[in-house]
Amino acid sequence: MIIAFKTDVDGVLLACSALKEHPDAELVFAKDRRELERKLTFSGTEDEVVRLGFTPIAGTKNLIREVLGKCPAKMSRTDTSPVQYIDLVLRHSKANPAELIHLIVSCNGSAEHLYTGKSKLARRYYNYMRDVTRAWQRMCMFARPDFVNGIQTVDIDSPHDVADIFCRWLAKKNPDVPVAVIFGNAAWVGNGELVGLDHFTKTAAAFVKSLRTSLSSKNKEADEVEGLWDVFYNSQMIESRRNRRLASKMQPKSSAGMSKMAKADRYKVERGISNCTLEMFVGDAREVSV
Amino acid sequence: MTEQHHTLTERMRILAQGTKYDSCNQSAVCHAFGPDGRCIQLYKTLLTNSCAGECAYCPNRNKRDTVRASLTPEEIVKITWSFYRKNAIEGLFLSSGIIGDAENTAEKQLEVAKLLRSQGFTGYIHTRMMPGTPKYLLEEIAEHSNKFGVNAETTSSVNYSEICPNFDYNNDILTRLKWTRDLIKKQRRKVGYGGRIVGANDTQFVVGAVNEPDREIISTVHKFMDRYALRRPYFMSFDPVPDTPLQNGIASPKWRENRLYQASFLMKDYGIKASDFDVIFNDDGFLADADPKMRLAYAHPDYFPMDINKAARDELLMVPGIGPISANRIIQARPITSEQELARMGVVISRARPFIEINGSKQTNLHSFMGVGS
Ligand code: SF4
Repeated sequence: MIIAFKTDVDGVLLACSALKEHPDAELVFAKDRRELERKLTFSGTEDEVVRLGFTPIAGTKNLIREVLGKCPAKMSRTDTSPVQYIDLVLRHSKANPAELIHLIVSCNGSAEHLYTGKSKLARRYYNYMRDVTRAWQRMCMFARPDFVNGIQTVDIDSPHDVADIFCRWLAKKNPDVPVAVIFGNAAWVGNGELVGLDHFTKTAAAFVKSLRTSLSSKNKEADEVEGLWDVFYNSQMIESRRNRRLASKMQPKSSAGMSKMAKADRYKVERGISNCTLEMFVGDAREVSV
Repeated sequence: MTEQHHTLTERMRILAQGTKYDSCNQSAVCHAFGPDGRCIQLYKTLLTNSCAGECAYCPNRNKRDTVRASLTPEEIVKITWSFYRKNAIEGLFLSSGIIGDAENTAEKQLEVAKLLRSQGFTGYIHTRMMPGTPKYLLEEIAEHSNKFGVNAETTSSVNYSEICPNFDYNNDILTRLKWTRDLIKKQRRKVGYGGRIVGANDTQFVVGAVNEPDREIISTVHKFMDRYALRRPYFMSFDPVPDTPLQNGIASPKWRENRLYQASFLMKDYGIKASDFDVIFNDDGFLADADPKMRLAYAHPDYFPMDINKAARDELLMVPGIGPISANRIIQARPITSEQELARMGVVISRARPFIEINGSKQTNLHSFMGVGS
């Protein structure tokens, strides 16, 4: 028997439930029906195939309880629920959905095992979850969109599949403007109803790029904001408390690749801020605070 | 005290510099970190550094010869929006020198907050209020800000009158702290969970401007947590400023500020009471430059080594290297069989090792580890 499942949370949970019933079944996964049929045709299998998750289901809550028992109490504000755990892991570039199913089934209905890292596999997948969380959180921290022509757009790059969650986050933060997150040839658009699209939709990157204004005006506005930011960033430094180790950890090297502004900030973390600037000749350089 | 002409950039620099010691809210996303490792989360600025007040430690005090500058509400709003759209900040932190009186200043601060909200700004607004701000304005500020509070600066009215002669500690500070506590409660009830974030009551102390010992500061913080639902205090080390009455004072060492922060976190997150610190103060009531949690542990050798698989949560929290999150994880994952497991849960093993026991095995007898009895 073959359990063929869609690589999303519902598909994974359904497959876990089926694997418990048929522990000897083979697992095949695909992101959509087309990919699945291609895989099955290619394998030439004549076994019975159970297709799971390719039609929408209701009641993920019941399913998660059936497969992983009662949700473990959140241990910190940032802890993920089992559903979020599965969703995040599936976005990891190295995650193998079939392996994830085996891990979940091996938990024997105790979701805690996903988090406590008692086996090698559990540790690896817990780290995957953390990698993906870190990847999109870093985007939230260090990506710097352009705001031109009333639309907020940003190009991102990540080994993991996080463009849509970042887009949702950005759209929630800016509910009054359309936002677009461009990743390769695709773009996720949030608050799309403001430009005649669905609230949240995936479209071609070229379409979003066509909505942007000419490059020259974009650069002028961006340069002004970046200049102001430099002044502000420099003003916040307390020289007597310089802590290069901590700063480098918090503003890591990887942040520099996310935007020009983050790159400039990272440079100052490494090299410090020159305290001899033209500004010193126009104002009182003393540090003050209220 | 008239203002010379300065460009927008110059004014922005002068007024942002005036807030550099103010710590911002830690619960949202940080967007940059300064070379000192501190998170930059909000655009922090003063409305103006001209001030009618005469606080003895303050570089902005009235009649002091210094460069004065202001930003208009529109300018602050514009800068906030441009940083916000760039995803470089989560919102605005707004403080000010006193423009005439507290009422007038609060009106101007309110103008900024209202303008931002009227333009659809959903980001974070933290307003640092002036001592003596009238209640009706606090009520309005509460409608538009996520966080607001007034600085206590010190621990008693006697100390306060020494450094802030224009204001009254009981009326202008403590009464306002009570009002802000009640307004926060009301706002929380109103917006509920999932609505706008309503930050906890907030205040700041200038450490070392007067001679109050750490014992007094810690017990005031504890009292404020109790009475005014203060979640975390902010501390700013005193640095003597030329041309002020305290210009010949001695700068407070930066480590003192850090130790006070650590002590305040122990009260906030670890359930430690102000009186628990008594065993680690010196004769004059000051903390040493050492981690207070480690010092508390050494002061109670009879509590250790603690069996990691049996200790209650509040006992685990006494172990250096174990925080509230790792304590929860330990309890959930019991039985624990190795240090590696603890490390994966976030326990700092190098700190915790002398104080814990796992399945009967411990590093050494704590008494001998500490040299007790040798
Ligand atoms: S009221 Fe504030 S700005 Fe004015 S002197 Fe006192 S501390 Fe300084």
